[in-house]
Amino acid sequence: MANRYRYSSRLLVVAIAVVFVAIGLAGVVSQNKPQIVLAEAPLVEKGQLPNNAACLSCHMVEGQVKEFPNGDLISVVIAPETYGLSAHATLSCQVCHTNISGYPHPENLAQSSRDYTLQYQNTCNQCHPSQATELLDSVHSKIMAEGNLNAPICADCHNPHEQPKIKKDEQGRLTAVEHAQSAMVCGQCHSTIYEDYAKSVHGTGVLVDKNPDVPSCIDCHGVHSVRGPIGGAAFRLSSPKICADCHTNEEIMSKYGLSTQVLQTYIADFHGTTVTLFEKLDPDQQINMPVCYDCHGVHDIRRADDPEKGLQVKQNLLATCQKCHPDATENFPDAWLSHYIPDRNRYPLVYWVNEFYKYFIPTVLGGMGLFVVSDIYRRWVVDRRKKNSIPAETVVESQKETQDSDSLQDQQEIKSVEEENQITDEKRQDEENS
Amino acid sequence: MSENQKTYTRFSLAERIEHIVLIASFTTLAVTGLVQKFAQSSISISIIAALGGIEITRIIHRAAAIVFLVQAIYHLVAIGYKLYVQRKEASMLPGFKDLQDAFQHFLYNLGLRKERPKMDRYNFVEKAEYWAMVWGLVLMALTGFMMWNPIATARILPGQAIPAAKVAHGAEAILAVLAIFIWHFYHVHLRTFNKSMFTGKLSRHEMEEEHALELEKIEKGLLPPPPSPEELKRRKRIYYPVAAVLSLILLFFVYRFVTYEQTAITTIPPVSAQSENVFVPQTPTPLPTRPPTPTSIPTPAGQSFEGPLSWNNGIGQILVQRCGSCHGAMGGLALNSYETAMKGGRSGAVIVAGDSEASRLVTTVRDGNHPGKFEPQELELIIRWIQEGAQE
Repeated sequence: MANRYRYSSRLLVVAIAVVFVAIGLAGVVSQNKPQIVLAEAPLVEKGQLPNNAACLSCHMVEGQVKEFPNGDLISVVIAPETYGLSAHATLSCQVCHTNISGYPHPENLAQSSRDYTLQYQNTCNQCHPSQATELLDSVHSKIMAEGNLNAPICADCHNPHEQPKIKKDEQGRLTAVEHAQSAMVCGQCHSTIYEDYAKSVHGTGVLVDKNPDVPSCIDCHGVHSVRGPIGGAAFRLSSPKICADCHTNEEIMSKYGLSTQVLQTYIADFHGTTVTLFEKLDPDQQINMPVCYDCHGVHDIRRADDPEKGLQVKQNLLATCQKCHPDATENFPDAWLSHYIPDRNRYPLVYWVNEFYKYFIPTVLGGMGLFVVSDIYRRWVVDRRKKNSIPAETVVESQKETQDSDSLQDQQEIKSVEEENQITDEKRQDEENS
Repeated sequence: MSENQKTYTRFSLAERIEHIVLIASFTTLAVTGLVQKFAQSSISISIIAALGGIEITRIIHRAAAIVFLVQAIYHLVAIGYKLYVQRKEASMLPGFKDLQDAFQHFLYNLGLRKERPKMDRYNFVEKAEYWAMVWGLVLMALTGFMMWNPIATARILPGQAIPAAKVAHGAEAILAVLAIFIWHFYHVHLRTFNKSMFTGKLSRHEMEEEHALELEKIEKGLLPPPPSPEELKRRKRIYYPVAAVLSLILLFFVYRFVTYEQTAITTIPPVSAQSENVFVPQTPTPLPTRPPTPTSIPTPAGQSFEGPLSWNNGIGQILVQRCGSCHGAMGGLALNSYETAMKGGRSGAVIVAGDSEASRLVTTVRDGNHPGKFEPQELELIIRWIQEGAQE
């Protein structure tokens, strides 16, 4: 009895434990934010601020720098109020600075400030594995692997001591301010592109008007898996899809009175047809046919009616054509229908040729078809019926001809009608006589 | 019976070869052209892929177009020979009778006439096809030229003539191909398999049905007699050089057609100057070039002390403010109270009363290896306090 009692009490303990684990798991699952795996962060207990006072007692003192053997200086000051507002405020310094546990700090072998930053290349993926994986697909990781140490790692875009939690709206889109901020982040390294962009129709929309419909860098190039035209033509050939993402979206375009036929009309034209086919069949081939940005500009895209660069201005369009067609003259740009579908007023010649064939083709083919149908009716209905009642001359004769031209063919059939032939011959004689 | 087995020569070997070349070039043009017209369909894409890509497809299309044009020139020369040298009847010319024949044949088909119309060497079916072909060739050549040489075209015509040409070229292609399917295939393959284009001969029955009038002329001997050998020789002497010059001129046109202009540059320039160097970092905020002195926190050092220095009189305040945030509650050396300060840390005492040089509190900080520092004044006070016995 006693044994059994002990046994059952052990069971009870196990059962309670199972229930607790299950509740715990449910909690984890329900709170689970797939992107950030805080659970993996050591040293942090929920709801408790880490004691970073020891580190901050020195590192909050302004003006401190670290000097590297190559002469680089970096600031090692952490402003507690900035850090406190950052997404990492709840983390103790050692979560990332795992090798520093006391003072004096262990000697660091970094020769330059860049070396030092790169030591933290794999730090972030402890808690941000999905972003780190996306980054691996980026041009940045690609050129890093090729030995370009200027390629950014996480910390270059997200200062880990200052990066606040990124603000998103209910639909998960970046807020307008964050959206604009993201372009400035890219601008840190791509400053000339940023300057061009800032002047463009997209740039002013994002940076000045804070309009979330308008693309910032990341909307075309991707956030962590940043794509670009480096290495091969694949990016260029597939780029019309990037533009089309928004420019065929009726919901967005209708707000600005923009056409959603731009992709369709591009693909229907020689340039777009070629690009699309290469994209499907030979995506790494460099070709000389333009994609959207070859005419509209890459980062410096202006409004279509921009006097300086807009392609609605005839002189600008001609200049654009002449980049690839140097001999082009004044009329030449009209060979391109400017993304319009021809109608009575715009490109009437194209419209009327189209209209002409719309009626001409059915008329000609219809006439031919009508005759052919009547002929079929005559031969396969009328003549056959005649043949079945009284073997008609045409049918019999054609059988004979078949024998003449190809004696092997249809011999059996001919034998079977041979007797009829004689009768028919006689009849024909009669008919001719009469 | 023997009359029925008689055959009638319809096409010479040269004409039959011409037809085979036409089949080849037309089919090639149709296939390589239609896949371009319907370039987004999956069938077209697989055909284009099989041909080796769109560029090669276009080259094949253009090569077939050249064959087609050269053949047209040959055809003109051959017609000239028949009409001028052989003085044959221009039997392909359409006339009012053809309209009549077509209408009567239609009525016959509907059972509204007893007899088929009697038709000559080329009946309305063949004439319709031949002239549709001629019309198609001229139109395709013109519109093809415009697309092949758009810059030259735009010098003379408005720019929209080029897309209009493209529309016409594509529509005409549909028309031509479907006409071949409906008209040609029905009349010479489906209704009866007319092999004359390959054997060169028609049977008597076929002649009766399709060219009854020609048959009648042959049988009644109404066809004009062939010219005498001397006459032929004389005409050939005139015709050959004229034909040679004419065909050379036309061939030169074809050559110009092909080589007229270099429409576009073959490689595009990089899209912008930046594409060569995209990494242009902004000038970073300048950092101080020398390690700065920490800004001083006001300490009791500035105050004047009355009476002897002791922990409670000044020193404690200095140590708590300067060292307390680390050497306080965190374990190890705690400088926030007299007792713990005198006790020292894990590696022993840091204050040796009466001997400041043996006190690590002084030496560690003075050597400069400690992150926290005292102001010189403060250090002086601490040294004095230790020398005086480190009183509480």
